[in-house]
Amino acid sequence: MTQATVTQPESTGQNVSADIVIEMKGVNKWYDTFHALKNIDLKVHRGERIVICGPSGSAKSTLIRCINRLEQYQQGEIFVHGELVEGSAKSVDPSINNVGMVFQQFNLFPHLTVLENCILAPMWVKKLPRHKAEEVAMNFLERVHIPDQALKYPKQLSGGQQQRVAIARSLCMNPDILLFDEPTSALDPEMISEVLDVMTELAATGITMICVTHEMGFARQVADRVVFMDSGEIVEEQPPETFFDHPRMDRTKLFLSQILGH
Amino acid sequence: MSDKETNAPSTDPDGTMIFVPTPSQAPPSETVGPIFWLRQNLFYSFFSSAITLLGIYFLFVTITGLYTWGVAEAVWTAESRRDCLDQSPHGACWAGIRTWFNSIIYGRYPDAEQWRIKLGFGLLVIWLLPIWIERIKARAWIGISAVLIYPYLAGYLFAGGERGVFMQFAFIASVTTLVANWLHVALTLLTGRGLPDWINRVCGLGNSTEKTQRIAFFSTLLLLFVAFYATFAGWEVAQVKTNLWGGLFLTFVIAGIGITFSLPAGILLALARRSELPAIRILAIGFIELVRSVPLISVLFMAVTMVPLFLPQGVELNKLAQAIVGVCLFFAAYMAETVRGGLQIVPIGQTEAAKSLGLNYWKSMYLIVLPQALKVMIPNIVSNFIALFKDTTLVSIIGLYDMLLMLKAIGRNSSWIGLHHEPLVFAAAIYFVICFAMSKYSQYLETVVGEGANQSR
Repeated sequence: MTQATVTQPESTGQNVSADIVIEMKGVNKWYDTFHALKNIDLKVHRGERIVICGPSGSAKSTLIRCINRLEQYQQGEIFVHGELVEGSAKSVDPSINNVGMVFQQFNLFPHLTVLENCILAPMWVKKLPRHKAEEVAMNFLERVHIPDQALKYPKQLSGGQQQRVAIARSLCMNPDILLFDEPTSALDPEMISEVLDVMTELAATGITMICVTHEMGFARQVADRVVFMDSGEIVEEQPPETFFDHPRMDRTKLFLSQILGH
Repeated sequence: MSDKETNAPSTDPDGTMIFVPTPSQAPPSETVGPIFWLRQNLFYSFFSSAITLLGIYFLFVTITGLYTWGVAEAVWTAESRRDCLDQSPHGACWAGIRTWFNSIIYGRYPDAEQWRIKLGFGLLVIWLLPIWIERIKARAWIGISAVLIYPYLAGYLFAGGERGVFMQFAFIASVTTLVANWLHVALTLLTGRGLPDWINRVCGLGNSTEKTQRIAFFSTLLLLFVAFYATFAGWEVAQVKTNLWGGLFLTFVIAGIGITFSLPAGILLALARRSELPAIRILAIGFIELVRSVPLISVLFMAVTMVPLFLPQGVELNKLAQAIVGVCLFFAAYMAETVRGGLQIVPIGQTEAAKSLGLNYWKSMYLIVLPQALKVMIPNIVSNFIALFKDTTLVSIIGLYDMLLMLKAIGRNSSWIGLHHEPLVFAAAIYFVICFAMSKYSQYLETVVGEGANQSR
C-alpha cells in the first residue's frame, strides 16, 4: 500500500513530496466549545522518529489520534501517504491500516491468548491463512522477546510484557507508521526500560515512529526531532540536542526545568 | 527440617546480605475443621443457636408433612377422584396426573401422531450432541445450523401436511444438513479427519487450490441433497392443526423459538441503541421502551383481540403464531437491555484497538466486543431465558393449552372434578426441574468460558 504515497498531488492542490508520509495543515479541533488543537502544522518524513512531549492536557494524544481517525477534527487537512484523512470520518476505512498504534493502557483483547491477539487482524483483515499469520506473529513476538508467552492470556503477563505484546500485535499488520500514545505511562517503574528497549530496537529498523512520551532519555537517544506542545499548540520543534541543550522558547525552558530538574 | 537452618542470614563474598523468605506455616488447628465451622456458623451465640434449632424444627415438620401427603398416603392408581378419596382421604391423588399424563405432555395432539414430536425433539438432541465433543471441528457451524436450519425439519414434523415449494426445499436441505453434519462427526471420531478432508482425499484434491476444494465440497452436498430429494420428496405426514398442539410440547415450542430468536434480536437492538445514526437509535429506543413498559399479558391480548380488527374480514391469523411473535418481541426488548449492560462494561479502548488494527464495525463487534460482553452477561441472559420459559404460561389466557392450562383442565373434568392441588404441585415440580437445570448449566458455562482467562496452558 506504500504506492499511495505518490497518488494525486494535484487533487490536493499542492505538491506532496514523496518523502513526506504525514502532513498536517492548519488542523483545528474542538471538544464542544473547548479548543483542543490550534492550527497544527506538522510534516513527518519517511523513517523519521518523532517524540511529542508537553505538559498534561496539551492535546498530544489528541494530535496523534487524529492521524489514526480515532478522533474527528473540524478544520484543516491531514494527509497520510498523500491521502486525505477526512476530519468527519466516523468509520474506519481499513485501507488506512498501514498506520499502527500502541496505547497507554495496552488494550490487548483479554479473551484471546497473546498469539490470538496477534493473528486476529491479519486473518480477518488481510485474510491470511492461520498458519501464515501465526508464522508472522511468532516472528514479531520474538522481536519483542516474548515468544515463550504466546499461549498465555494477557492477564497472566506483567504490564511490560503486555505492552510488548501490543507492539508485536500492531507490527503484525506491517504498518509503515507506528504511533505510540504514552506507551510507558501505565507501567511500574521497573518495567519501563524493557518497553523502551524494544522501541529503541524498533527505531533502528527504519519504521516511521511518532511517540507521545515523557521519557526524555528515550527522546534524546532515539528521536530525530522533538515536538513540544502546550495548550493545543506546537510551541517548538527541534532536533533533540538543540531541544534539550538550547531550547528557544521560555515555555520549553520552564517545562524542561520542571521535568529534568528533580 | 534441616532446611530451616538456611533461613539464617548469610553473606555474599562482597558483604551483601542474602534475603531468604520465611517459609509459610499452617493456620492454627483450632480455626479449621467441621466442628469449628458449626460453632462459627450455626451455634455462635445463644440467639443463633435458637434460630438454628427453630429452623431444623420447621424443616422437619414441612418435610414429614409433605412426605405423608405426597408419598406415604398418596394414591397412585384410581378410576376417579371419588375413588382416590375413598382409598385415602388425606393423601395426594397422583392417579389423576397419571391418567392425564399424555395430555399434559402432548395436549390434544393425536395419539397416533405423537411419534413425530418424539422424533422431532430426538433429532434436536442428535443435532446438538456434537457441540459437546471437543475433537470435532466446525462446531460453531453445527450450533448455527441448529438455529437456522433445524426449525424447518421440526416445523414440518410437528405440523405436517402438504409441502409447498419453499418448504419442500427447506425440509430436504434440513435433512441433508443433519446427515452431512453427522457424516463429518462420525468420520472425525473414527478416522480423525473431517468430511472436507475426506472429500479431498477421495477425489484426489489434496494439493488443489482452496477454490477447487470448495467446489468439490459443495458438489458433494448437492449430490446428497438430490439423493434425499429423490427419497423424501413424496414422503408426507398428516396435518395436525396448531390448535391441537398443547401441553409441555407447546411450552417447549414457544419457549424454544422465543429463546433462539430473542438473543440475536436483542443483540441487534442493543447495537442499534448505541448506534451513531440517530434514526436507528431512536427507533431502537422507541421499540425497547414501549415494549418494556407494557405487560406481556396485554401484548398477547392485543395481538389476539385488536389485530383482527385491522385485518380484512375472513382473514384469520394463527393464534400460536401471534403468541410466538408477541413473546419474541417482548423478550427481545428485555434481552436488548441486558446485552447493552454487557456492552457498556467493555472499555472503549477495546474498540479503539480493533479500529487501529483495521477491523471494521461488525468485525470488531463480533470478534472483540460481543464475546466479552456476553461472557459477563451469561447469568443475566439465562435469567431472561428462565423468565421467558415461565412466562409462556401466560399464553393460556388467549386460549392456548400449554402445560399449565392443561393441568388446570384436569380439575374441571367430570370424573376428576376438584383435583386442583396435585396438578399445581406437579407443574411446580416440572418448572423447577427445567429452570434449575438451566440455571445450573449457566453456572457451568460461566466456569468454562471463564477458564480461558485463568488457566495457563
